[in-house]
Amino acid sequence: MQLAVNILVLGSIYALIACGYVLIYRVSRVLNLAHGELMMLGAYLVLATASLFNGHPGIALAAAILLSLLTGAIVYIFLMRKMTGEMVLAAILTTVALGILVRGIVILTWSAQQQYPAQALGVSNPSLVLFGGARISMWSAALVATTIAVYGALFVFLRFGRWGMRMRAAGQNPLLAAQRGINLHGVYALAWSLSTLTGALAGILMALDSGLTSSMPVIGLKAFPAALVGGLDSFAGALVGGLIVAGAEVLLIYYVDPLLSDVVPFLVLIAMLIVRPWGLFGTREELDRV
Amino acid sequence: MFRPPPRASGYLHTNYGEDLSLLRTRTERGSLAIFLVIVASFPFLASPFALDLACQVFLASIGALSLMLLTGYAGQISLGHAGLIAAGAFTTGILAREIAAPFWITLPASALTGIVLGFVFGLPSLRLRGLYLAVSTLALHFVVIYLGGEYETKRGFSTGIVIDPPSLAGFKLGGRGWYFVLFLAAVASLLICVNLLRSRSGRAWGAIHVRETVAEALGINIARYKLLAFVISSSMTSVAGCLFAYYRGFVSVEAFDLFLSIQYVAMIIIGGMGSLLGAMLGAMFVTIFPYLIEALLRLLPNAQKLAGDIFAVNYAAFGVVMILFLAFEPLGLVGIWRRLQNYFLLWPFRYKPLAGARK
Amino acid sequence: MTAALLQVVKIEVVYKRVITAVQGVTLSVGERQIVAILGNNGAGKTTTLRAISGFLGIDDARISEGSITFKGTRIDNELPHKITGRGIVLVPEREKVFPNLTVAENLAAPVSSAARSGQGRRLDERAYHFFPRLAELRSRTAGLLSGGERQMLAIGAALMCGPQLLLVDELSLGLAPVVIQDLTRRLRSIRDELGIGILLVEQNAAAALEIADYAYVMENGRVVLDGDRERLKSHQDVQEFYLGQAAGERRSYRDIKQYRRSRRWYG
Repeated sequence: MQLAVNILVLGSIYALIACGYVLIYRVSRVLNLAHGELMMLGAYLVLATASLFNGHPGIALAAAILLSLLTGAIVYIFLMRKMTGEMVLAAILTTVALGILVRGIVILTWSAQQQYPAQALGVSNPSLVLFGGARISMWSAALVATTIAVYGALFVFLRFGRWGMRMRAAGQNPLLAAQRGINLHGVYALAWSLSTLTGALAGILMALDSGLTSSMPVIGLKAFPAALVGGLDSFAGALVGGLIVAGAEVLLIYYVDPLLSDVVPFLVLIAMLIVRPWGLFGTREELDRV
Repeated sequence: MFRPPPRASGYLHTNYGEDLSLLRTRTERGSLAIFLVIVASFPFLASPFALDLACQVFLASIGALSLMLLTGYAGQISLGHAGLIAAGAFTTGILAREIAAPFWITLPASALTGIVLGFVFGLPSLRLRGLYLAVSTLALHFVVIYLGGEYETKRGFSTGIVIDPPSLAGFKLGGRGWYFVLFLAAVASLLICVNLLRSRSGRAWGAIHVRETVAEALGINIARYKLLAFVISSSMTSVAGCLFAYYRGFVSVEAFDLFLSIQYVAMIIIGGMGSLLGAMLGAMFVTIFPYLIEALLRLLPNAQKLAGDIFAVNYAAFGVVMILFLAFEPLGLVGIWRRLQNYFLLWPFRYKPLAGARK
Repeated sequence: MTAALLQVVKIEVVYKRVITAVQGVTLSVGERQIVAILGNNGAGKTTTLRAISGFLGIDDARISEGSITFKGTRIDNELPHKITGRGIVLVPEREKVFPNLTVAENLAAPVSSAARSGQGRRLDERAYHFFPRLAELRSRTAGLLSGGERQMLAIGAALMCGPQLLLVDELSLGLAPVVIQDLTRRLRSIRDELGIGILLVEQNAAAALEIADYAYVMENGRVVLDGDRERLKSHQDVQEFYLGQAAGERRSYRDIKQYRRSRRWYG
């Protein structure tokens, strides 16, 4: 039973991070490999806002989340906007470079030691007992709930919201979208903001649960196979992919070898690339885009 | 019989030997001679630190050349380069440790590992392109690193494998010896790459890079040439890994992280895609860069507190430079170099040549 | 006709700085006028449309000479979304709809400046008013529509942007003659009811000349003939090369020295 809870928690983490990848990829065909680092930045921002709004953890959290939203928009407006229209490889490498840059800045600003935002905020992390004797910490439960909420909100937004529709249109055919008056830069900036927001939510909740180190981006990278397994342009896929990868990881760690933890997602990825490269729910023509 | 001396302009070759030669004019031969003199005398004039730096540059350029061959010419994106270097290094380490193999066994063994791994890394390229191929190479990199880590832990080398320096009949390499060995290795790689690119394989890779379907329609066996590119590139990289292991005397899985892969990709991008000179310039730039940053930090008065976090500063500076090159100078250092050349070639005339000039 | 809505004066469009696609083209579209550009493949018609609508940068092309004026202001080499904001909307030749969105979503996606001023509701009805068939297909995925329906959706979506000048690229490609007739008649009713100008680029000269008030013939990047409908329909060269009616009785190839006799565009 504890295994199932672990899978659920890890799956929620991966799914929440993966939806950030899918959001940007679906709208602008760019793979944002800096997602892990931006997620980490969001968590570190909590440390900053915690000291600013001392005694008001709720406001500090909200402020950090808002700042992350802004960060995503800023990253697009000042950096990625220059790379629209360039080769996709160049855009991806730009995100990689951005990730490296953010990692350096974070370490310089906050040092590489382990931090505890929960302490900084003054909140606790009690362990809840579920049926079957399994335990889950409060913030992990919050994470699962947040993942569900985020996916629900995204579904509604993309399906029924005006800007959601524009995002879908821009993702399918940017040229036609521009010809129909859709402001592509606005759509892309929105995608980046939302992606950074979801990533930051994941990062903050993880940091509140188990502390914060500068190696958090590794989890971001491990969540990428979840996005790919489900299909890089499918949200449902990201959810399912997250659960699959988490399931494989937890089970293999438990039954085979704990050292496997970092490599299992990539084994799943390789298996998926051999069998069905466009993922479980992805659209097939994605393959030919270089 | 009077034979006119070769000139820089016009193809005045009178036999196949001349046509195939790499150095065609007296100027080229002369500049190469001067260059060789500089290179040969460098170790006797430079400090040990500079010597070590030069050795690192030569070592890096082998990897950069092989990656340029694969990504710049054949167009197969690979983010798993560090994994291949690790493979070569670990082969060397394992063989040296387990069966005390001498270097004339470990070197070919590393090349063999490279060939096998190249095959494995290259199989996805038959089905995937672009982004998905890059991702598959990334995944394979992690697998290789994991295997290396497994070996380290299972055999108790938690901090890494120590390797005895290679010896040939009792003769061990000193700093200067290593310099010349690595220089020769780099030159050998360069010659291999140059000749490969001039051959049928090179032309096939060029065709595959530009338009794969047309290449296939022209009768080029795509699968064969893609795998060939991966295999050759990986075996060169593994040999570089073997040399790396001997040079450092120490193999540990932490040295081959994702950042190393990114550094190699940065080398070919900063150097300039599609140019062997670019690979070498990029290798030089990326290798020297951290030391430059460190020197810069020492010059700035209030940067002492940053010196403790030198890794972070390196990261940040590296990220910035890579972004700058990607956004503003897509042709890389070679682009800058060619622009300089054009400027002096045309001076005192000012108008730019039409082909290849941007903005 | 009334004052010119769009005035293109002697433009020259150059691809990649070396290839001249269009040279010395002058044309104008008046208010409430349907103007057609006729010509074969590669005549430069699509390039001209792209130049007017601003989507040249994608193919590394530029208007290197001449001017394009819309309602008195110069718009050459302006940013595409600004040109769309002014009221020039393009219905492209390929990829004219969003294939994975439904018809209703396709019609809701376009952005028009008029929508902000509260005319959104009226615009909504426009597409369904001119193309009743679309109302029946409201929830069908656009990628599954037939050619004619797709073209209707494309024009309807363009109308949702609140245009004052509609640019239509190759209306009739791949469509059955009945469908083409239907579409051209609807275009005319759009012009009659909305009072906008329409610039139509067509290879199918017969269909275009049905509704055009004025037409230009382009060849090799230049305008070689222009005139109103009657002049073009009765012009011998247009008849022979674009309308498929050879003058006189049938001749065998042996009798003519060259396959295409020289055109007398200036006769």
